[in-house]
Amino acid sequence: MVDVAYEGGGAIAVSEKLDRAKVLNRLRLGDAIFRHMTRGAAIAVLVILSGIIISLVIGSWPALHKFGFAFLYEEVWNPVTEQFGAIAPIYGTIVTSLIAMVIAVPVGLFIALFLTELCPMVLRRPIGIAIELLAGIPSIIYGIWGLFVFAPFLQQHVQPFLIDVFGPIPVLGTLFEGPPYGIGMLTAGLILAIMVLPFITSISRDVFEAVPPVLKEAAYGLGCTTWEVARNVVLPFTRVGVIGGVMLGLGRALGETMAVTFVIGNAHRISGSILAPGTTISATIANEFTEAVGDLYTSSLIALGLILFVITFIVLAFARLMLMRLNARLGS
Amino acid sequence: MATLISGASSPLYAARRRKNAITMTLAYAATGFGLIWLALILIVLFWQGFSGLSLAVFTQMTPPPGSAGGLLNPIMGSLVMTIIAVVIGTPLGMLAGTYMAEYGRYDKLSSVVRFINDILLSAPSIVIGLFVYEIMVAQMGHFSGWAGAVALAVIVVPVVVRTTEDMLTLLPDTLREAAASIGLPRSLMIQKVAYRAARAGMITGVLLAVARISGETAPLLFTALNNQFWSTNMNAPVSSLPVVIFQFALSPYKDWQNLAWTGALIITLAVLALSIVARFLGGQSKKS
Amino acid sequence: MSMANFTVPTVTNSVGANETLTEKVTVKDLDFFYGDHRALKNINVSLYHGKVTAFIGPSGCGKSTLLRILNRMYDLYPNQRATGTVRLDNDNILSPSQDLNLLRAKVGMVFQKPTPFPMTIYENIAFGIRLYEKLPKSELDDRVKHALARAALWDEVKDKLGANGQSLSGGQQQRLCIARTVAVRPEVILFDEPCSALDPISTAKIEELIDELKEDYTIAIVTHNMQQAARVSDFTAFMYLGELVEYGDTTKIFTTPNDRRTQDYITGRFG
Repeated sequence: MVDVAYEGGGAIAVSEKLDRAKVLNRLRLGDAIFRHMTRGAAIAVLVILSGIIISLVIGSWPALHKFGFAFLYEEVWNPVTEQFGAIAPIYGTIVTSLIAMVIAVPVGLFIALFLTELCPMVLRRPIGIAIELLAGIPSIIYGIWGLFVFAPFLQQHVQPFLIDVFGPIPVLGTLFEGPPYGIGMLTAGLILAIMVLPFITSISRDVFEAVPPVLKEAAYGLGCTTWEVARNVVLPFTRVGVIGGVMLGLGRALGETMAVTFVIGNAHRISGSILAPGTTISATIANEFTEAVGDLYTSSLIALGLILFVITFIVLAFARLMLMRLNARLGS
Repeated sequence: MATLISGASSPLYAARRRKNAITMTLAYAATGFGLIWLALILIVLFWQGFSGLSLAVFTQMTPPPGSAGGLLNPIMGSLVMTIIAVVIGTPLGMLAGTYMAEYGRYDKLSSVVRFINDILLSAPSIVIGLFVYEIMVAQMGHFSGWAGAVALAVIVVPVVVRTTEDMLTLLPDTLREAAASIGLPRSLMIQKVAYRAARAGMITGVLLAVARISGETAPLLFTALNNQFWSTNMNAPVSSLPVVIFQFALSPYKDWQNLAWTGALIITLAVLALSIVARFLGGQSKKS
Repeated sequence: MSMANFTVPTVTNSVGANETLTEKVTVKDLDFFYGDHRALKNINVSLYHGKVTAFIGPSGCGKSTLLRILNRMYDLYPNQRATGTVRLDNDNILSPSQDLNLLRAKVGMVFQKPTPFPMTIYENIAFGIRLYEKLPKSELDDRVKHALARAALWDEVKDKLGANGQSLSGGQQQRLCIARTVAVRPEVILFDEPCSALDPISTAKIEELIDELKEDYTIAIVTHNMQQAARVSDFTAFMYLGELVEYGDTTKIFTTPNDRRTQDYITGRFG
């Protein structure tokens, strides 16, 4: 055995002890520096968010100062006379997002149900992975496809049909008034639906999978059908999580730029018909910002950005709170 | 036994079964419906994009309207801005994630940062473009590649923060205790032991961030703007693939539209490749 | 449950007097809290140089908690605090001015599950040494070899020092962790159920190792395996519900315990 006498309890030389203490002092300094760097970086995340808010508020100040609250409800958007109101893009943003959610939420939930309860095991992973990969495809791809493929298809085949069927019906008819442009609110909403679909699906699937198997087994043990288990066990248990996931999807739809900009038509007016061209906040900014002449015009566009940020912030914050509640429940 | 049979054949049970059959059919239909759209998009993309794919795409500059050319300058612009964005955003995100997972796992600051970071993660990217326009372009008086890179970096940060925190949190506490038990200071434990153990997962995070920004268009529109020519000057407007796609797709020229499709295919392939590599690495890190 | 009629065990009379013992670690009036929960109650115990002290008791009795106070591992977590005094030689290690890294370099720890660092076998050992000492390569090599030899691992790994530490078997990993601990030249080594994740053969090796190491170190071991405690330790402390019920010579504890609860536990009547 190697000689280890010097390792005995009190046998460490005094000088070595001092050495250690010196080294430790240096390490302690490094420790403090690193700790403060990480803390600084964490605070930087907060600084970025406050920076976004502050810069948007400052940038939009001239417009908000000039138009006041009227900015929120005026429809006119005239760069020549420098009159700006945000209601048309706000309206377009909300309508396109609603169309998207009306379609994507039920379809996404059913796909998630399929993936967690019905799908054969061999297919579960491939389909799941495919959906996650599709959720990562950049929105500009959806936009270009919408412009060249989807909009012409809608114009030739779907919209004339919708006009024929619903046009004569009172009230409902106004939704489908006007010629089939191809581009417009409906097209934008449908593209958004396709875009947020993988997103909602993958979150709902994760949430559904978090249901403890014993709960489901207990229900199946009572003789429940798959639908009854989904309806009475899975959905109630995951309700907050599903709402959170849906809100996250909504947050994405509201702020989405490229998928919408290609096909919305960029018309600053509110139309009762969802076939008509419109605009959204993000599309307006994307289309007009670099060409905006004059401070008031630029400032009005930034004010639109501020409104968008406030809306999405609220939606996303709500979504996170919901998901946090689900996690808390799973944790307990 | 007899009661069971009568129970199973009762009208109530039949109704339940019918309802189940209907909803299950709907689930299958929904899956088919969803997958068909997504497949359609990819098929068209490959169909349109492949026809334009040639060596010239990677060796020639973007052409003037009505003539042939390539996508060399936007590809390079995108690469350079992406690299700078990652170089800026990754250390910041890693440090912040480290704070939340290691130093301040239970403190107030971390929970606030976590909440805010999650919001930044899905904040509209066009707003980030406006933000960087305000703090950089408006101050400097001109569009620049730097501004574009910073805008992308702002998108990188929350992605890296999130994965770093998640990966470090997954590490067993015993590893930290073992490191501490030989007198290793916290900072060295994190740098030499924790980072190493979580390496695969953290690289996954960076790859996901790259995948995310390589298709981002909105934040570049009014930061890096666009540049029809070859430019290595980051202080001047720089071309990027997504912005060129946007511009070319909306143009009336057939050549430009074809290039837009090809560019879209390149981006999609790049993003898919990155996601697959990231997924592979991520799967490995979960195993070990 | 009444605690009043139970008196703190007197340590001195149970320790044999025919041998001079050096107190290395002295725990006095120690209480420990997880938040508001008092997990340890008025612990008094000593660890002696060159001896192995075993802590036994049913799970949740606080034996691991006690061990983790001796190197202040609990400081990694919020809302945990200890009151009383724990002396290492003459320093109160519970004092706020205690440098934790220095303390932990002096009081090494081996854990329940082997915890090799994600690096090579060589680096696993060299890493800790390099922290405190700048050594030429050859000397560092010697120290690594020495540590691995001390942990009875050298012969098994000498040809693959560049392999990842996590590629070793469980028992080897655990000995690697012991080597890593030894390499930093601690004075006290704490073993927290070091064999609970190992097979019987690896367990025997570790026990042998503890026996070899004890002449140079002060050793404390937490174990839920009473036979193990009987085999490796010189002194045994029985803990129950956060209290130290009985402490003394291992043979005595296992043959003629004073306390009824100790008797019940070692005869397997509860736990």
